[in-house]
Amino acid sequence: MKVKVGIMSFAHLHADSYAHCLKANPNAELVGIADHDAARAQAKAQAFETHAFDSYESLLASEVQAVIICSENARHASLAQMAAAAGKHILCEKPLMTKPDDGKAMLAAAHGAGVHLFTAFPCRFSPAFQQMMRTLESGAIGELLALRGTNRGSNPGGWFNDPELAGGGAMMDHTVHVADLIRLLTGQEIAEVYAETGNNMFHGAFDDTAMLTMTLQNGVFATLDSSWSRPKTFPTWGDVTLAAIGTRGIIEMDMFAQHLVHYDDRAGRIKQVFWGDDIDYLMVDEFLRVVAGAERQMLATGEDGYRAAAVAIAGYESVKRREPVPVQA
Amino acid sequence: MTRVGIIGLGTMGAQHIDAYRAMPDVEVAAVYDHHAERAQAFAQKYSVRVAESLNDLLDHCEVIDICTPTYRHAEYALPAIEAGKAVVCEKPLARTLEDCERIVNAVKQRNTPFMPAHVLRFFPEYRTAHQLVRSGALGAIAAVRMRRGGDFPRAKSDWYADFSKSGGVILDLIIHDLDWLLWTLGAVERVYAKALTFRNLTHLDYTLVTLKFKNGAVGHVEGTWCDPGGFKVNFEVCGDSGMLEYDSTRQIALQIATRSDEGTGGGVQVPESPAAQNPYYLELRHFVDCVQNGQTPEITVEDGYNAVRLALAAIESAQTGRAIAL
Repeated sequence: MKVKVGIMSFAHLHADSYAHCLKANPNAELVGIADHDAARAQAKAQAFETHAFDSYESLLASEVQAVIICSENARHASLAQMAAAAGKHILCEKPLMTKPDDGKAMLAAAHGAGVHLFTAFPCRFSPAFQQMMRTLESGAIGELLALRGTNRGSNPGGWFNDPELAGGGAMMDHTVHVADLIRLLTGQEIAEVYAETGNNMFHGAFDDTAMLTMTLQNGVFATLDSSWSRPKTFPTWGDVTLAAIGTRGIIEMDMFAQHLVHYDDRAGRIKQVFWGDDIDYLMVDEFLRVVAGAERQMLATGEDGYRAAAVAIAGYESVKRREPVPVQA
Repeated sequence: MTRVGIIGLGTMGAQHIDAYRAMPDVEVAAVYDHHAERAQAFAQKYSVRVAESLNDLLDHCEVIDICTPTYRHAEYALPAIEAGKAVVCEKPLARTLEDCERIVNAVKQRNTPFMPAHVLRFFPEYRTAHQLVRSGALGAIAAVRMRRGGDFPRAKSDWYADFSKSGGVILDLIIHDLDWLLWTLGAVERVYAKALTFRNLTHLDYTLVTLKFKNGAVGHVEGTWCDPGGFKVNFEVCGDSGMLEYDSTRQIALQIATRSDEGTGGGVQVPESPAAQNPYYLELRHFVDCVQNGQTPEITVEDGYNAVRLALAAIESAQTGRAIAL
């Protein structure tokens, strides 16, 4: 039996990747797409050889068992609540929410309806990260003292530069992946955040440069650079790196280091061609299996998504107050 | 012939005498170290005279080069400046801001040539990056990341491990990067730092420092004395028109790998960056040239003060958990 899935909105560019994952997975059927942008729904339905529904309501009234939500960040809450009310399982693009109350409402709606709510954190599925977790757990680097992470990228433009829809700029876009990895790696909550932001890259009314310092419950500290600081000529979209510093050694992980360097005369540029595992595929595959009744293993829950987004939200509060602030539980 | 006297005959003292001996117009007239045995061994190795006292050294030299541990800089710099000598002093300028102020005031009063030895400014990779940033090649600077360190440094009497003497990884190690940042990006508005310095871990120190510059740029500096993988540096400067990156583990001009004879598999790999003149030579040559020609050294005593002030603010932040405005 194939799991029947719908996609709610293609506003976030990751929707394309998830659609490819569904098309490539023998256990999935992409039943259709709905989008508040009707033209986009039509275009994507054609591209992925599926049906374009004329409204979110009609998609949710169909035979779909589960939905993937890829709307603008600020619209996650209303779409997730609609999907939960219709009894559909949910995989929601990150960041889960732009306001803590929205996140609470999403968690409550899923809980009340008895449906799964997961957050799209594919980095958890990286074999390099999983080996890092096992190495840390083995005690090979002794006691963990500090972490240093980056998740740099380039400015996606469009609604990502509208703080009303995105909930912020680079810090809202790129904090949550590594914040989630840190929680998973350490089993600790992030208790306090200090952040500095800037806008010297694009000179807009949004942050394009962001540097967070996080303190975990056990006192371990970490920094995260979530800036849109990759230049137009950079050979790839960005990076995810995480270093663990211990009493007996260090671990350095570079999640997308598994690439070829392609000097492409036809395109007039240098490109990285990734040859590592497709973590989006691994994540969507577990989502399908859980919807079909299997136990969750690595997939990030709604609560995980809430905790990670709360770190970015605390970051903006810290920028305002120019001091470290607690993360809302 | 310019006569130089070196005070402090450890690692840096040896590095500096090698540089002076490559200068035909410079004579190392005498050396001094409060460890008499070490002074004798040094004198024998380099065939130089050991000064009987600080005054003996001052009487016979025009240039005084201070290579002692940080906490003794002021103790030697102040009498040398008072005696009207040209003084080059290892980084950081001093262990405390009060000592830095004394040195700044003495230099101003006596109007003597003085240079804090922030040698990083003479490393060609850092100098070229500075020039590119200042030329506007990257446009407005948005983000800068710098990394420095390796395993814990070992020295006589283990003074690096004594925070009251060395100032730990922030004051001793990343002062290099902090000076480069001040030189290249200008003044810092605010600093926030985390560090292991006050955890009382044996021979482990680590810091992550965030800086907000007056020009709006955000900086991040990692300093480590707990990386068993060997000494590494890197930096990345991002502007609205481009980005520069350097990584000492990737840009290696010469790599030599040798197999051990015992066949135990314990081979050694040594990366090198050969250059016509090493950065210590370039730094000290610059200072000697300034002394000989009556010019002002490009690193001022105020630069030394500002770097220490920033480092101490980062330490204060790590200690108090607050962001420190400068």
